[in-house]
Amino acid sequence: MFYRLSGTYHTTYESDRKLWKIPADRWQVIAVLVLAVAAPFLVSPLYLGSYVLPWVIWSAAALSLTLLMGMAGQLHFGFAAVMAIGAYSSIHLVRFGVPFEIALILSGLIAAGIGTVFGAAALRVKGLYLVMATLAMQYLVDWVVVNVPAISGGAHATLRTPAVSFLFVDVSSLASRYWLALGWAVLLTLFFLNVKRTSFGRALVAIRDKDFAAAVIGVDPFRTKMMAFFTSSFMGGVTGAILAYCYYRAVTPEQFGFDVSIQLVAMVLVGGLGSVIGSYLGAGFVLLAPIFLTNFIAGMAGAGWIPVSQNFLSHLPLIIYGAMIIGFLLFEPLGLAKIYDNIRKYFLVWPFRHAKS
Amino acid sequence: MSAQDDVLVCDRVVRRFGGVIALKGVTARVRRGEIFGLVGPNGSGKTTLVNAVTGFYPPQEGRITLDGQQINGLKPYRIASMGVARTFQNVALFHGMSVLDNILMGRHIFMKPNPLASLFYPWWARKEEIAHRRKVEEVIDLLQLAPARDEHVDVIPLGLQKRVELARALCAEPRLLVLDEPMAGMNQEEKEYMVRFILDAQEALGLTVLIIEHHMDVVTAICDRVLVLNNGEEIAQGPARETIADPQVVEAYIGKPRDAA
Repeated sequence: MFYRLSGTYHTTYESDRKLWKIPADRWQVIAVLVLAVAAPFLVSPLYLGSYVLPWVIWSAAALSLTLLMGMAGQLHFGFAAVMAIGAYSSIHLVRFGVPFEIALILSGLIAAGIGTVFGAAALRVKGLYLVMATLAMQYLVDWVVVNVPAISGGAHATLRTPAVSFLFVDVSSLASRYWLALGWAVLLTLFFLNVKRTSFGRALVAIRDKDFAAAVIGVDPFRTKMMAFFTSSFMGGVTGAILAYCYYRAVTPEQFGFDVSIQLVAMVLVGGLGSVIGSYLGAGFVLLAPIFLTNFIAGMAGAGWIPVSQNFLSHLPLIIYGAMIIGFLLFEPLGLAKIYDNIRKYFLVWPFRHAKS
Repeated sequence: MSAQDDVLVCDRVVRRFGGVIALKGVTARVRRGEIFGLVGPNGSGKTTLVNAVTGFYPPQEGRITLDGQQINGLKPYRIASMGVARTFQNVALFHGMSVLDNILMGRHIFMKPNPLASLFYPWWARKEEIAHRRKVEEVIDLLQLAPARDEHVDVIPLGLQKRVELARALCAEPRLLVLDEPMAGMNQEEKEYMVRFILDAQEALGLTVLIIEHHMDVVTAICDRVLVLNNGEEIAQGPARETIADPQVVEAYIGKPRDAA
């Protein structure tokens, strides 16, 4: 079919370590990237602003979290708090007069700093206990944000993001906000793919798979876990700032609550742990599936095809959504990324049956 | 023998687990370039001694030195970076990685993992990755792992997995290579292959090897000297063939003649 491994030879170690080794994969990536960049001209502003833009930003958030949860194997159930720290710090830094570009980096560093402190406290424990420790971070950060007026501007206040420009381009129109978010998602994607083929990524996976074997070949478990927390929290912090400036444009503490953390974990799990494409698919599924299901059910009911009570009708999309998540995880526990991979492999060797990698 | 010829010296090493004394003051010297066998019945403290050397169970008493430097009390990853590599009795490979990535992990002590280097891969990390890939390919050639290079480690057979683990240890260019039962669970053919690979690697890389092994034919064939442990104590030490034939050693393994009757 479109993919073929035969005829693709790698004669140097450089080319063997390429990100996309098969020509068809490269074309696919270029096509998706072109479509993504051209989205403001292809999609109506309503769809761009309410579907595509949040999808891109939440994919970046899922990528940040899956570095920690998928690659390093450290469960984190308070990631929305990390994003909150990034969002609030970037707003206050810009208000203080710091240029937006530097404020983004600083807010990432602040989120990374605080995230790593909690990570360090949590590193003595594993598994479910780590979940509890990160939950504590979620609630502590929530509490501080709500109760310190200097941060949130008051208990029920909404903090508007100031007008900013990024590299001398004004970031206020929908298209420019979308492109900024897209640029960040692309940067994170490239970073993630590069992590996977370098010693940093291997050390993370080694710690996840067998920490004693990692130690015996010279990986410092504590340092590596701290680096995972730091990197992931940095990515999450900047994503939080991007989310505030490009999408919400007015920030309240509820936007970064515990349910958001759970949604992020769901994105990572449904998409497939530690997978780049899975982060995009997972974020897309968790964000968009409920919307499409609601519209779909409403349309069906409008046509008179679902003769049930109004009350039940409003819950039906959620029931189907939950069933779909369970179904996906039963059918393929490694997530949407694995389903994508299976399809890709099928075409890789079609009309034969077995693929190597 | 002068002291400089001793790579590893364990001096009256004691390790207790609660009330159980697993090592009761074991002393051993591993000389440079030799294959030193560690044998003994189950529960005699062989693996505990190895774990003491690699830092998993630091000894409560005694001293362990590597080329004259004290290593007991250091963390396992520090000991690894000083040049002690080991394999495990139950294969301890990283299941989320390919054979190649597993072996590349062996180069970890020479690499500097850094997220920024990953971000700027073409300008920063690539050179390092490629240089270490070259080293890894040399070991892959030596152990004939090329056909399995791109496989996932959990789909290859046990014999091959053990060889991958050996390759990973060799990539660290160790001063002391510790092999914990490299032939456990293998058939005769795989055993012979493994012995050949260990001897090849030792000759090619000038290794010093500390090996735990139950197969006496292997021990007498490849070990220069052996230390026999029983109940955490040394019962014999010396050249392989004579030591294995020692009546005390035979007794520890298969009991006294009158018990057997």
